[in-house]
Amino acid sequence: MKKVSLLIIFVLILATSLVKNSTKEIEDKIFALNQSIRSLKVEFGDLMLEYNFLSSPDKLIQYQSQYFEKELIKIDVMRIKEISEKNNTIELTDLKKMIKDE
Amino acid sequence: MNEKNSQIILEEYENKFLYRKSKTNLNIEFNRIAFIFFVFVVISIIFSIQLLHLGSLKKDNEVKTLITKKNYRADILDRNGNYLVKSVSSIDLGINPTEVIDEKRLLVNLQLIFPNKNFSEIKKKLNKGKFFYLEKKISSQNFEKIMLLGDKSIKYEEKLTRIYPQKNLFSHIIGQIDDDNQGISGIEKSFDKELKTSTEPLSLTVDTDIQFLVREELERFQSIFRSKGSAAILMNVNNGEIISMVSYPDFDLNKREALKDLNFLNRASKGVYELGSVFKTFTIAAGLEANLIEVDTEFLNLEKKLKCGKSTIGEYDDKIPSDLTVEQILIRSGNIGSVRIGQRLEIDKLRSFLDKIGVLKTINFDIEEVGEPIPFRWGKCKLATVSFGHGITTTPLQLAKGYAIVTNGGFDIKPSLIKKDANHIWNKKRIIKEGISKKINLILRKIVSTKEGTAGLANIKGYQIGGKTGTAQKTITGGYSRAKVNTFVAIFPTSKPKYVMVVLLDEPKISENYIYKYRNKKGSYKGTPYNTAGWTSVEVAGKIIEKIGPILATKYMEN
Repeated sequence: MKKVSLLIIFVLILATSLVKNSTKEIEDKIFALNQSIRSLKVEFGDLMLEYNFLSSPDKLIQYQSQYFEKELIKIDVMRIKEISEKNNTIELTDLKKMIKDE
Repeated sequence: MNEKNSQIILEEYENKFLYRKSKTNLNIEFNRIAFIFFVFVVISIIFSIQLLHLGSLKKDNEVKTLITKKNYRADILDRNGNYLVKSVSSIDLGINPTEVIDEKRLLVNLQLIFPNKNFSEIKKKLNKGKFFYLEKKISSQNFEKIMLLGDKSIKYEEKLTRIYPQKNLFSHIIGQIDDDNQGISGIEKSFDKELKTSTEPLSLTVDTDIQFLVREELERFQSIFRSKGSAAILMNVNNGEIISMVSYPDFDLNKREALKDLNFLNRASKGVYELGSVFKTFTIAAGLEANLIEVDTEFLNLEKKLKCGKSTIGEYDDKIPSDLTVEQILIRSGNIGSVRIGQRLEIDKLRSFLDKIGVLKTINFDIEEVGEPIPFRWGKCKLATVSFGHGITTTPLQLAKGYAIVTNGGFDIKPSLIKKDANHIWNKKRIIKEGISKKINLILRKIVSTKEGTAGLANIKGYQIGGKTGTAQKTITGGYSRAKVNTFVAIFPTSKPKYVMVVLLDEPKISENYIYKYRNKKGSYKGTPYNTAGWTSVEVAGKIIEKIGPILATKYMEN
């Protein structure tokens, strides 16, 4: 019994030190990853802000008047088609067919 | 004391104290080991509990560190993940002249970094001996260069800057913050705590593209109808998500101006108006709810004028027939017919219906800028005027809510600007009887699609628009002014409503040069014939829906 108890204590001490050691290693890795994610997040946020500003409706209208005034036309909702795939065939249906005036 | 008695006799009892190996001794040793083991187990348990406890506290600790982080404020996104507000930290640079060691050297170094600055001014400031700001919102490159100088007199201050890439577009919704990172209006104020503590950005229900198109039309028609201001709300009738909410005039949030002009008020949620005939829909819905009328119930021999106390109630259109069904009363916007329905309802039923759909009391909304409908005392005359939308006030936001409930099948909704996560379960609570919406929607459609209706200019092909117009005179102390508030509430598609749109023009004037293109017939018309909602706000709403319609039809077809 004595030997068993001592063995359990020894195993517990060994297991604790092993777990603690591996936890520390994982923690270090997590810290390093978090740091690199943080800087990437900041960079991503700045780029997204730039993208949102450059692609804002206000800017797009400005670009349209500058470069594509005659090329871009207003879409009539009745001309919009919906693409669907049924039995390996592509079908085109009017988007607005379901809304029929009474 | 007696000496004999006090003598101590020492005897040896060695034999009695002889060490003997016994079985009990073995037990003592085992108990000791068991005790150590027990102590070890207890320590391990305490340690584990402590670890678990710390693990569970981790999130709270993170929040606490953020709270103490002075220069933090979460970003705000639209429903598609586009930035509406982004926080960036900026650095302001100042000089404390009392700590300058070598002024000449400092000025030469600064001149190399800021070649465009006026250094004679800086020299004067240095001689005054008081702290001054050298450069605000300095770039990171220049900041690094300045720090490399290693001059103790150079002081820097890290500040939080909010960038609004959409400029004016969401000014009334987002609101502003002060220099101490405190929200002072809009979402910035009402979600101040969340924005300071949340690590995730706050997502709103609004759509930038749609908001832009709505605002663009309001701005265009502001110059055509020369109105004092205008507002528009586009809301999902089934869940109350606000896709667009514009109040014009607005302001550029990046300029951080102190606004004192009352005209910059958020007309959509804070503006309290008498909205006129748009209330007739509620009177009829209340009548249907109380089973007192049906769509085809006839009202015969309706007078052209009614006297109530000192005031006279008349018809807007003199050609309106004397015999009308309930449906015709709403299509032709009959005042006297609406009064008769109201009288049949009586005060309690009409009041409780209006209360139920949320137009009488202040609305609980995501921003604090909400108007309070003016309270009034009900009486016979009040019942008559309220029945056709006069003598009763509310906000455009509450009007949109009321129409959403009346047309969505009778389910209660709460207008919201905050996007719920994908797992959110929408609790649908029916507050109006089933079937009423269907009847109302059919009538609203006829107001737009038939020539008797007052909103033919909004009959855009493919969207099945229904709606009701409201032209009301603005109240002044002791009466009404000649200035008007023209409103149009649109519902579309009427066969299964998805959206409600309110367009309000505050004090519009007629335009002599604007060309109207008829939608229900061929041809066009130059100039505004009447300063009514049918010729002003309906036209604006029609143009807006024509522009945003393809986006709504394609982008939100799954919703």
